[in-house]
Amino acid sequence: MRRFAMIAVPYTWLVALFLIPFLIVFKISLSDAALAIPPYAPTMKDGFTALIQGLDFENFVFLTTDDLYYKAYLSSLKIALISTVLTLLVGYPIAYSMARAPEEWRATLMMLVILPFWTSFLIRVYAWIGILSNEGLLNQLLMWLGVISEPLTILNTNIAVYIGIVYTYLPFMILPIYAALDRMDDSLIEAAEDLGCSRMSAFWLVTVPLSKNGIIAGCFLVFIPALGEFVIPSLLGGSGTLMIGKVLFEEFFNNRDWPVASAVAVILLLILIVPIVLFQRNQQKQAEAEG
Amino acid sequence: MIKTLLTGTAAAALLATTALAEEVRVYNWSDYIDEALLAKFEEETGIKLIYDVFDSNELLETKMLAGGSGYDVVVPTGTFLQRQITAGAFQKLDPAKLPNLKNMWDVVAKRTEQYDPENAYSINYMWGTTGIGANVGKVKEILGEDAPIDSLELVMNPDNMSKLADCGVHFLDAPAEMLPMAMKYLGLNPDSHEDEDIAKAEEALLAIRPYIQKFHSSEYIQALANGDICVAVGWSGDILQARDRAVEAENGVEIAFNAPKEGAQMWFDQMAIPVDAPNVDGAHKFLNFIMDAENMAVASNYVYYANGNKASQEFLIEDVMGDPAIYPSAETLDNLFTTTPYAPKVQRVVTRAWTKIKSGI
Amino acid sequence: MAKPSPDTSIKEFSPWTDPDEKPLIRFKNVTKRFGDFVAIDDLTLDIYTREFFALLGPSGCGKTTMMRMLAGFETVTEGTIELAGQDIAAVPPNQRAVNMMFQSYALFPHLSVYENIAFGLRRDKLPKDKIDARVTEMLKLVRLEKFARRKPHQISGGQRQRVALARSLAKGPKLLLLDEPLGALDKKLRQDTQFELMDIQETTGTTFVIVTHDQEEAMTVASRVAVMDEGRIIQVATPGGIYEGPNSVYVADFIGDVNIITGKAKAAGPDKYFVDWGGNQAPILATSERPFTDGQECHLAIRPEKISITKEKPEEAENAVQGKVLDIAYLGNLSTYHVELPGGQIIKAQTANTRRLSRRNITWEDPVWIRWNATAGVLLAE
Repeated sequence: MRRFAMIAVPYTWLVALFLIPFLIVFKISLSDAALAIPPYAPTMKDGFTALIQGLDFENFVFLTTDDLYYKAYLSSLKIALISTVLTLLVGYPIAYSMARAPEEWRATLMMLVILPFWTSFLIRVYAWIGILSNEGLLNQLLMWLGVISEPLTILNTNIAVYIGIVYTYLPFMILPIYAALDRMDDSLIEAAEDLGCSRMSAFWLVTVPLSKNGIIAGCFLVFIPALGEFVIPSLLGGSGTLMIGKVLFEEFFNNRDWPVASAVAVILLLILIVPIVLFQRNQQKQAEAEG
Repeated sequence: MIKTLLTGTAAAALLATTALAEEVRVYNWSDYIDEALLAKFEEETGIKLIYDVFDSNELLETKMLAGGSGYDVVVPTGTFLQRQITAGAFQKLDPAKLPNLKNMWDVVAKRTEQYDPENAYSINYMWGTTGIGANVGKVKEILGEDAPIDSLELVMNPDNMSKLADCGVHFLDAPAEMLPMAMKYLGLNPDSHEDEDIAKAEEALLAIRPYIQKFHSSEYIQALANGDICVAVGWSGDILQARDRAVEAENGVEIAFNAPKEGAQMWFDQMAIPVDAPNVDGAHKFLNFIMDAENMAVASNYVYYANGNKASQEFLIEDVMGDPAIYPSAETLDNLFTTTPYAPKVQRVVTRAWTKIKSGI
Repeated sequence: MAKPSPDTSIKEFSPWTDPDEKPLIRFKNVTKRFGDFVAIDDLTLDIYTREFFALLGPSGCGKTTMMRMLAGFETVTEGTIELAGQDIAAVPPNQRAVNMMFQSYALFPHLSVYENIAFGLRRDKLPKDKIDARVTEMLKLVRLEKFARRKPHQISGGQRQRVALARSLAKGPKLLLLDEPLGALDKKLRQDTQFELMDIQETTGTTFVIVTHDQEEAMTVASRVAVMDEGRIIQVATPGGIYEGPNSVYVADFIGDVNIITGKAKAAGPDKYFVDWGGNQAPILATSERPFTDGQECHLAIRPEKISITKEKPEEAENAVQGKVLDIAYLGNLSTYHVELPGGQIIKAQTANTRRLSRRNITWEDPVWIRWNATAGVLLAE
């Protein structure tokens, strides 16, 4: 009985905060837009039979007719993949230095990585506007140093979006990699060197494979949310930056078409199921190998 | 026992104080009121005023249609108001609570009936036109002394736009404003809802798209005032505010507003009370306060927009009352056009065209 | 002790006595400091080819530091280390002909047993078939042929140790360093492995240097043992030499069980001294090649097994003392009697249990006589 109660708690959480909201969104995706409050029909007020009869997959079909949507999905995938790789390239060295740092510094370094989360995410993204704009800090610095003579246009381009995503999701990449590197036995590197590895090849042949799990976890933790990102492309990207999160927003606010917006969301979730399941499997395999 | 008694008293006291601190929540356009008026309202009525701003009709409409916005007073533009009334988003005003209704201007009231039959749900706040704001000095430098700053040719002709591109051009991020303007430029009916006409407007805008720096509905005010951009398609009062800011800053930037001579869109911003407003009484108090002749004049004097309040006209400054850009002459008024709201299917076509224009997809 | 190899069956394996023999490893006045802490203090030592050399000492004595300097993981603060006559200070660990077997084994968890062993060979870019031949040879040497495809977490602790050994021998190094290799094994396995190690060392002809804190282990496997303390070598000798001829109380006490009797020396003849050890005890007679001046403080170190214990007074004995049995430690094959002397000292006497326990004639509280010969112990100055 007690065991049942223990399992029931997380399940209730999942059902209430994920399954039910998802079903609501799914139901809206099967409805039609209407000029009413709420702006779709049919609703529960029309009665159950009318509700069931009024639902159809029209919106999903519509998504296939306009190339905006699949282009947005592909563009989102591309941006999310590139961002993930960039975050890995920036995050791995940081995690590595943290793991190599003297013991007494580790807690402080960890704090520094997590500290940005104490401030509002939105404000931090706005700060980037101030840094990357044509009159912003970065351009001012580069011009003062004489590196460039004309300000670089970074804001409102995809580059700014990459910077924003890497900056925001960096801790998610650093922490799992750091944990994996921290767990690693230092004597393994010595053993590798003893057997003939240079520092570099010891890194590639021993350290990287052993931190593989951390790398994978970090990549998933960045890729999955980056795919549906909205705020960063909206504030830092140009109008040419096409991401599915922005498209969803526009369906919702500009078209006031909740049903189509919901259909976009449902498809996005289905797309994400693949990486999420892969990630789950990977975590499970790792747990088994260690246990 | 003592503990429960103490907590109980404390809670009761807290509730009582919160009940006394009455609140009114207003959701208005950005840069659209003199802050001094807000303070004045709070002083006169003792009601706490919570004032939020937005810069997009679409955003407001979404909130209205979602229901439960939590606001007591909102300010949609006429065409949007019309749709939201159909959706049942607003409640009828109680004239008994609005003695200052007598101040309103019948000329404007007649026009707004198009959106709100019998003006049952709303009062007019301000009205204006959508036109062209230009940094006169820079534009004349680039295009010569007779640069067409009062014509759609300035912003819709690729030849002109290509030259202005480096200097910086902003357009409103509002398809309901830009597509009719494009249609007017092409000689079409600006209020056309035909797919064909929308497509032609889209084409025309695509032709000049490469030369537009940004689509934004509020950034242009400061950008013009600073001299960061030379041309903006924006709302009349906003551009006049930019002119004013530049003068105050004494930065040598001269901004001029012109309603395009081919024809400009005229719009009306109405104040209405959401059907689920928490403080209906307070909302009426606010509306009545706004309709006071002197108060309305203070607002218009500050934001350089014409208002629908006849009684306020004696308190308007010369800069406002005498400026044909704000209070156009009768003949100019004839040249102004209004639009009607889009049906959902048309809305989708419009938004899709807009996305294509903005992002090329 | 290392068995003399067949080639030198005529004389025992002892290259350190041969003046023409060049050492494989030479420490010359080596000092190592970590900040203010002196880990190795002006150490000089020669280790010869084919030796099974043990560095023995308590925690913190510097033995691991010495090993790590040989491997290349620590640098020398002062002095030089030579390997085959060449100063190896400039040579990084991956280029030395030295391999190490780590205390934690340090097997690569993401590689199979085969790949672990092949790792070093692959770094040398040997052709595939040569690598395969060598790995197979190593697997056969440690008897793990069947486990080639397994990963380290899929084999037992003892098997992992053998993989570590195979991996460290795969490249046929001149010198193999073993860092407390048997610490994690249980006693029986440890003993078996000790003999295995000795066999492998002889078969491959590699020089082994083993670091250990277990003196039994050092005594079993080593050709020579260096007893260390606080960064210095106290004594280097064969196990027999260490045991029977310690050069200090420290060494005597470190290895095996010992009785130390402190007293004042007095000459008693050529290489013979009386030790006056206080009270009204008869002075002890002891032989010593080491010279002592009259009245010099000296310590007699005598092993418990060299002391006989009887109930009756011995008729002829060079040294005999009376006492009372305080405690008996029964070790199955031996019994150690703790005998309390009238002066309060406790002497340990050890005898084999030639008779069954129930039939033992000495028991607690019994008055007994202990005796030993003049040559039985070692007289030490410090």
